Amino acid sequence: MFRTTLTVLLALSFVLTSCTKKRNFDEKVLTVNVSAKVKGLDPVNAGDSYSSNETARVYEGLLEYHYLKRPYELQPNLATSMPKVSDDGLTYTFNIKKGVKFHDNKCFPGGKGRELKAKDFVYSIMRMADLKNNSTGWWLLDGKIQGLNEWRDKYKGKTANYDDKISGLQALDDYTIQFKLTQKYPQFLYSLAMVYTFAVPREAVETYGEDFINNPVGTGPFMTGTYRQGNRIEYKRNPHYRTVYYPTEGAPGDKEKGLLKSAGKKLPIVDKVIVNILTESSTRFLSFENGDVDLSEIPKDNFDQVITPSKGLTAEFKHKGIELEITPDLDITYIAFNNEDPLFKNNAKLRQAMSLAYNNKVSNKLFYNDRGLIAQTIIPPGIGGHDETYKNPYQGYDLEKAKKLLAEAGYPGGKGIPEIYYETTSATGSRQMAEFFQKAMKDIGITIKVNTNTWPQLTQKTKKKQAQMFGMAWLGDYPDAENFLQLLYGPNASPGPNGSNYNDPDFNKKFEAAKIMQPGPKRAKIYAQLAQEVAEKTPIILGVHRTSYVLKHSWLRNYKFSTFKHGHAKYYDVDMKLKEKVLKSGKLKEEVKTETAKAE
Amino acid sequence: MNGNLNYIIRRILYLIPVLLGVCFLIFVLFNVVAPDPVHMMLGKHPSQDQIVELREQLGLNKSMLAQYFDIVKSAFTFDFGRSWATKQQISTMFKNGAIPSLTLTIPAFTIATFTSIFFAVIVAYFRGRGIDLFIRITCISMMSISSLVYILVFQNFLAYEWGLFEISGYEYGFPNFLYYVSLPILIWVVLSLGPDIRFYRTLILDEIYQDYVRTARAKGLTEKVILFKHVLRNAMIPIVTYTVVQLPFLLLGSLLLESFFSIPGLGDMTINALNASDFPVLKAMAVFSAVAYIIFTLVQDIIYTVVDPRVKLQ
Amino acid sequence: MLEQTVDNEMNTETNNQNNISLKNRSLWLDAWHRLRKDKVALVSLAVVIFYAIIALLAGLGLIAADWNEVVGPSYAHPSWDNPLGTDFLGRSVVRKVINGTQVAMSVGLISSLIAIPIGVSFGALAGYFGKWVDEIIVWFYTTFSSIPGIMLLMSIAFVIKKFQDSLSQVFGAEFDIGLFAVFIALGLTSWVGLCRLIRGEVLKHKNREYVQAAGAIGAGHGRKLVKHIIPNVTHIVIINTSLQFQIAIKSEVILSYLGLGVSGQPSWGTMINDAKEELARGVYWQLLGATIAMFIVVLAFNILGDALRDALDPKLKGKS
Repeated sequence: MFRTTLTVLLALSFVLTSCTKKRNFDEKVLTVNVSAKVKGLDPVNAGDSYSSNETARVYEGLLEYHYLKRPYELQPNLATSMPKVSDDGLTYTFNIKKGVKFHDNKCFPGGKGRELKAKDFVYSIMRMADLKNNSTGWWLLDGKIQGLNEWRDKYKGKTANYDDKISGLQALDDYTIQFKLTQKYPQFLYSLAMVYTFAVPREAVETYGEDFINNPVGTGPFMTGTYRQGNRIEYKRNPHYRTVYYPTEGAPGDKEKGLLKSAGKKLPIVDKVIVNILTESSTRFLSFENGDVDLSEIPKDNFDQVITPSKGLTAEFKHKGIELEITPDLDITYIAFNNEDPLFKNNAKLRQAMSLAYNNKVSNKLFYNDRGLIAQTIIPPGIGGHDETYKNPYQGYDLEKAKKLLAEAGYPGGKGIPEIYYETTSATGSRQMAEFFQKAMKDIGITIKVNTNTWPQLTQKTKKKQAQMFGMAWLGDYPDAENFLQLLYGPNASPGPNGSNYNDPDFNKKFEAAKIMQPGPKRAKIYAQLAQEVAEKTPIILGVHRTSYVLKHSWLRNYKFSTFKHGHAKYYDVDMKLKEKVLKSGKLKEEVKTETAKAE
Repeated sequence: MNGNLNYIIRRILYLIPVLLGVCFLIFVLFNVVAPDPVHMMLGKHPSQDQIVELREQLGLNKSMLAQYFDIVKSAFTFDFGRSWATKQQISTMFKNGAIPSLTLTIPAFTIATFTSIFFAVIVAYFRGRGIDLFIRITCISMMSISSLVYILVFQNFLAYEWGLFEISGYEYGFPNFLYYVSLPILIWVVLSLGPDIRFYRTLILDEIYQDYVRTARAKGLTEKVILFKHVLRNAMIPIVTYTVVQLPFLLLGSLLLESFFSIPGLGDMTINALNASDFPVLKAMAVFSAVAYIIFTLVQDIIYTVVDPRVKLQ
Repeated sequence: MLEQTVDNEMNTETNNQNNISLKNRSLWLDAWHRLRKDKVALVSLAVVIFYAIIALLAGLGLIAADWNEVVGPSYAHPSWDNPLGTDFLGRSVVRKVINGTQVAMSVGLISSLIAIPIGVSFGALAGYFGKWVDEIIVWFYTTFSSIPGIMLLMSIAFVIKKFQDSLSQVFGAEFDIGLFAVFIALGLTSWVGLCRLIRGEVLKHKNREYVQAAGAIGAGHGRKLVKHIIPNVTHIVIINTSLQFQIAIKSEVILSYLGLGVSGQPSWGTMINDAKEELARGVYWQLLGATIAMFIVVLAFNILGDALRDALDPKLKGKS
């Protein structure tokens, strides 16, 4: 007995002292972390940014964003060129590239990937419309393509027939596809760069049935190898990928940053992409510090360790050869009022008072490490409709004014206001934000009750208009202010994206008129005006537009941040020799005394 | 022996009402009172049509009785359908999750059991003396700290600060998985030592106070001989049966450790399902674990009859 | 663990019909004498009482009611002014720890208050009446115990949150659904062990002479059960409750990790969970404060539970 136990103990101590594993530097491998489990790789359900990033490694669409140019610019991907648009702005005709092959897969005769045809796009877009698929992207095309809604309704509760002709969605021949819209909608092109509309082969959908989501077959630069949703996804290079080159021109400054060094190189550059799913932000960051992954965002709690007060890298991280990229993101954070709630409905003064009592400067510091830009309207910088000179009178901390407005609203000192429920999730960050909001409102005499929910419970409450107040962040789907203004558009009320259920007929009308205008300065001006008008009515408490801080190791080349980063892995390059050298030198583990210790 | 056989048959038949009860409990929890999962699954902009269609697809419009029978059916056929969140067959998810779970729990459980018994024997041998007191105090103190604190502190120091282990994640295949599971195993062992040593000590002491020990002592046998030859052999019976009942829980993995260290086992799967309102997976886990538990308690009873002639089942 | 050790034949003392009350008193008196000799157990008892007082004072708003006040900068290190530093908003961690006592103690108390009536009444009924009553109750708790505790715990907590709206209408806006869910989930999962023990005890007692004697002088079932048998098994309830407290306090941490914990007021569970991210920036004081506070009271309950078992369960005397 003693002896066996002892042996077991010895074996245990041996196993436990064996350190971390070895690495392989022979192949060009891009390694990244993602923070959430990937739900599966089916374009029609690539709703969250994690799924859409993964799905876009395998699938491709008609259009994409130029990798380097800013502001964001659409360019053809599987289309040969940008579409011909009819004079009335309703008909879009695309030619698609010839000779593009789907991945080799057992769903095709002989296992050889067949050529992509125009009918594949027709099929893929019909899949989005098919109620059975419950596409999370249907809102994009709802009511916009002639005949598509009718087709969708025809098969409600039945099995849809994909051989039906739809007037607004037709393959004119093998390489020509034509869309007819029900009304002018210039944002339509953006939807063709979104993952929802990417091309899937009918054979694969029919072969795999419900398992199609886990057996992706696309035309993209990578194909799935090991696929373990909750843990790790490995992609290998698609050997038959069509010839695509790295862009030869970029935005000003890109050349200096070395982003054009790979100009003209055949894509994809790396052989393999490894995606680790790590849900804890601290472990994600640790794996970056150890050099296990090539790039990383900076968790809030590590920020001071990495970034100096003047927004540069600390000496420790500079010493390790780590580089920092700071780019404004296209997003907005806000705290929504449920504008259908009797307390808030038609009670702009109360809403304005609450907005003025909320100190965004402090919250920016506490929750975003001061890297957010305090929002004056709902439209973030970088797109038409953002006006830098505008200052929202109800944004910015002003307790006196808040108290005055509260009294004017009929609640002097907060008297007469029932307890207000603020719904949040139990994630540490969200909970802390709720506590901060609670404290801020206490200063003007308003009692906030914080309810923590699991994520499903929170979505359910907001969709059913049961949440009185809640925090939200909206990440742009495409670079057009319409995508942000629609958050306050009455007909989009819950369960639509307008979770604040704000409904102002005047705003609705002006918005409808503006969104069908052609892009340009004229439209931007109207957008800006609209955003300002609605901001002053305060249907939501505006937060910040966040700025993305990305850290990358010296060996990762060609990285450029984008809000629409899906499909970008094909441009990245990894210098494996350098990686090996840095890792073997132990530089990443060296301790360097930095000024952060003093700063505290 | 005939009586035993009868008993075993009755025990097996008893599985049926218990399983029906378990299904009823699960049904009440998830089909009657749980929140509606539809909104969660439809993303940012669902339309009314989609909500109706999805409710239909998920079988939420079926009659209550039909929903209950679906659960009962799954308990007897082990066909749990598909996950709502990932659309995978739940049986496939079980198969994929079982390997990481078992690579964590089997070594952890084995090491923890042997170490605990080892210490328990020492403590029993030196009962009432300093070392006994010391180990008992240590055990009770270790039990008084939250398991989450162990996880946080061990991960922060052993993995992050000192770099002795992988911080989190998992790789399939031997020996790669060892790098990832060794820290969770260590934590598991540390967590089990407190309660296990105390428990095994009680079992062994139970034997020490038996009459036959007194007789042996009277015969002039040394304490060492008595402990190892007689006491330990007899104490093995409750020890073995106790360990057997724990086995099904090994298959379930460890919820906290797996989720914290991103080990894609069944425990992690359960927590994800909880966060995503993935009811089929939660129900499947509950049914599956209940079936496993019931079967293993039966096995425990049977072992009892086989190894311990003193026990007569009725 | 308790189950296996207490679920033994209790005492073989005399069952003389004339001195039920005497025997009862002597058991408790005897127990108290034994407990009094155990200095460590007495200290533990004092610690538990101390925590209960703190919790009560915090609950009444007499101490640490100002936990929500900002007392310093965000994440200030421990210092003379703030012995355990401050949290992200600059609130005193000491005050949060004190206020958290309330949650910890009430979780233990209320989950016990839920579990004890269910466990005792079911256990007593099953043990006393036997036959089909026993069959049904045994079936019922076997069903409950067949689902692993943690699965059941989190499922119940998850599901209860659905009733938030209706419950706040009944109990008013002050009602904290998170805490309520923790109470109910812990209460509903912990009665099974108690029920099993009580059933076993009652089974043994019901045929004892004193019970039969009570029957002979005309006591009905209810009287026999409530007046005679249950007082003789209360020591199991006491031992079990001491254990239940520490399990409940520890479970609150796990539920917080799963996002099913308390909201709107500080709890040790949420403080420990916050440390998940805080440790990375070297902020250890919330973790430390909550862990020490919890360690002391859980240790006290553990020691007290053991001591009570030794004192009330003579058969195990000197073993644990």
